[in-house]
Amino acid sequence: MISGGLELTGLGKRFGTRVALDDVSFTVRPGELFGFVGSNGAGKTTTMRIVLGVLSADAGEVRWDGAPIDADVRRRIGYMPEERGLYPKMKVRDQLEYLARLHGIGAPEARRAVETWTERLGVAERLGDEVQKLSLGNQQRVQLCAALVHDPQVLVLDEPFSGLDPSAVEVMSGVLRDAADKGVPVVFSSHQLDLVERLCDRVGIISAGRMVAVGTVEELRSGGVERIDVVGPSGAGWAAGLAGVSVVSSEDGRTRVQLDNGASDQEVLRAALSAGPVHEFARFRPPLTELYRDVVTAGGAR
Amino acid sequence: MNGLSARQAVLLVARREFVTQTRSRSFVIGLVVTLVIFGIYGLVFQFIGNQTSSDTLGVTPESAELAPALQQAASAADRTLTIVDVDRATGEQQVREDDLDALLTGAPGSYQLIGRDSVGSNLQGIVAGVVQRSTLTDALTAAGQDPVLVAQRGTVAVTTLEPTDPERGQRLGLAIVTSVLLFMSLIGYGTAVAQGVVEEKSSRVVELLLATIKPIHLLTGKVLGLGAVGLAQLLILGAIGLAGASAFGLLTVPSAAASALVAAVIWYLLGFFLYASVYAAAGSMVSRQEELQSLVTPIMFPLFIPFIFAVSVLPGDPRNTVGAVLSFIPFFAPTLMPARAALGVAPWWQVGIAIVLTLATIVGVVQLAARVYRNSVLRTGARVSWSEALRGTTRT
Repeated sequence: MISGGLELTGLGKRFGTRVALDDVSFTVRPGELFGFVGSNGAGKTTTMRIVLGVLSADAGEVRWDGAPIDADVRRRIGYMPEERGLYPKMKVRDQLEYLARLHGIGAPEARRAVETWTERLGVAERLGDEVQKLSLGNQQRVQLCAALVHDPQVLVLDEPFSGLDPSAVEVMSGVLRDAADKGVPVVFSSHQLDLVERLCDRVGIISAGRMVAVGTVEELRSGGVERIDVVGPSGAGWAAGLAGVSVVSSEDGRTRVQLDNGASDQEVLRAALSAGPVHEFARFRPPLTELYRDVVTAGGAR
Repeated sequence: MNGLSARQAVLLVARREFVTQTRSRSFVIGLVVTLVIFGIYGLVFQFIGNQTSSDTLGVTPESAELAPALQQAASAADRTLTIVDVDRATGEQQVREDDLDALLTGAPGSYQLIGRDSVGSNLQGIVAGVVQRSTLTDALTAAGQDPVLVAQRGTVAVTTLEPTDPERGQRLGLAIVTSVLLFMSLIGYGTAVAQGVVEEKSSRVVELLLATIKPIHLLTGKVLGLGAVGLAQLLILGAIGLAGASAFGLLTVPSAAASALVAAVIWYLLGFFLYASVYAAAGSMVSRQEELQSLVTPIMFPLFIPFIFAVSVLPGDPRNTVGAVLSFIPFFAPTLMPARAALGVAPWWQVGIAIVLTLATIVGVVQLAARVYRNSVLRTGARVSWSEALRGTTRT
């Protein structure tokens, strides 16, 4: 296989009469950080559970390196479930070693990995404490350790950033980046779209069980409508008569116009210049938040 | 490098359960509490025995002539009787103050036994017997008959076809202790399995576990691990109990005791696998510990019934037919059959049949329980209904 990595093709899942997933497909390539975004109940968790084999799909399949995924491959996935789960009364060290062993790691290796990862994630001094005695943020760090202690070949993390303080977000981002740099495909879901935009190589947007967009943020932008920001003439009257051009907003001499297909940006510039001096003329690069809103509304309207 | 066989997975889970349980404070506390309870039981029984086997009776001058006969009757009935000579008024006063258990007044033909608000049935029996006999003796003598000869003619000799078991009392004690131990272990560790399953569900760690191993491996490991803890506890208690009983001279048939312990272990294992799988299935159907109680209570009934039977009916009537029949029924067998065996009324072939029947049931029940567990363990929120759990419609 040329692409390799983790491939999801045509996943479908129903819960009774409700369709949870409908033809969900995307690929996470080795070394790629893939951001999986969507509103609550859109199907992110269901998709991840199917990848892990915790839930079975009604249709479609999950492939790893070109072959259908099996229990042995799944054991090499690092997983962080949405519902955080650790034994509350078990000590951090025992817990992590146990989970590493369940992933098929030998005892000495597990011990070393637990030391390494707790050190890296800043919870090494809590190794002897019961998990329930840790703060939520630290429990989250332990949870991430649990996803990493067996040297996973794939990382599937459901909301890894929720509930983390800014410094923990930095640590977590670094860890994910490093894993990807080692060639591990990393897929994580998040509602923090600015973070996803900053961190991820590619993004998949799911809405009501369907993938509505997959690609780099840049690719997502190119699919959207063209908007131009003009800073100069006050008011938006200058743009009123232009064919195929509508004003999105106008405020303090900053006017954002939207161009229909075929409308000329040069016409816009000329019109603006004729109304007064132009200090800035630039294509508006919508942040992921805005792209997300656009595709999700478009998806919802369909 | 990351291979993990089914056996390894089960062993890992079982080891965690065993280590976590035996290291926990509750394991040691449970052991100590059980020993203390058994100790208190022993003391209480001894105390009650001492209490009821001694009576204090007041006799007034008219009834005092019965005193020697009363004393004789009491010692024949293996009871201690203290007889105090009083006049009627003081006697009544002492009865009222509980210094006397009863007061015997009156002359032949008008004897009266006065108690405070009741008279102990044993004391009543002794006094009534003596009064009756003395009346009869007087009447016979008056009619010119020899009371001794009449009494001899009126006895019935009791013999048994098989020799009576001189250790019957000890066997009874063993049977009751075995039943109590089995009952406690099965309830205790069955509940521990259910709680363990719910703990994994409520803490959501189960999703992480099931991403690495199969539900059946998790279930098997948990049942084996906790079963081993229960077995360890049973053996520790059994050893302490045997050692203690031998040291105090309560036990003079070590062979019977050893075989009772072996039987207890076998029946514990059979009973545990039977009940633990049901408990595990029940645990997998709820998401919170609070919901568990209503679901596990019905499971305790099939344990309660034979247990109560074993400690209340069998001691008086070891060959009870209902008991014999119930002891073959798989869910009842684990506490009833060993009790009957300890009493020496269940021949080996009966024990064998009960074991085979129980084993067959275990195979069926475990499969059913595994199915319920697999279908329910990942479902959080509302309680999973039995039909959903057995059918297996998956839902999040």
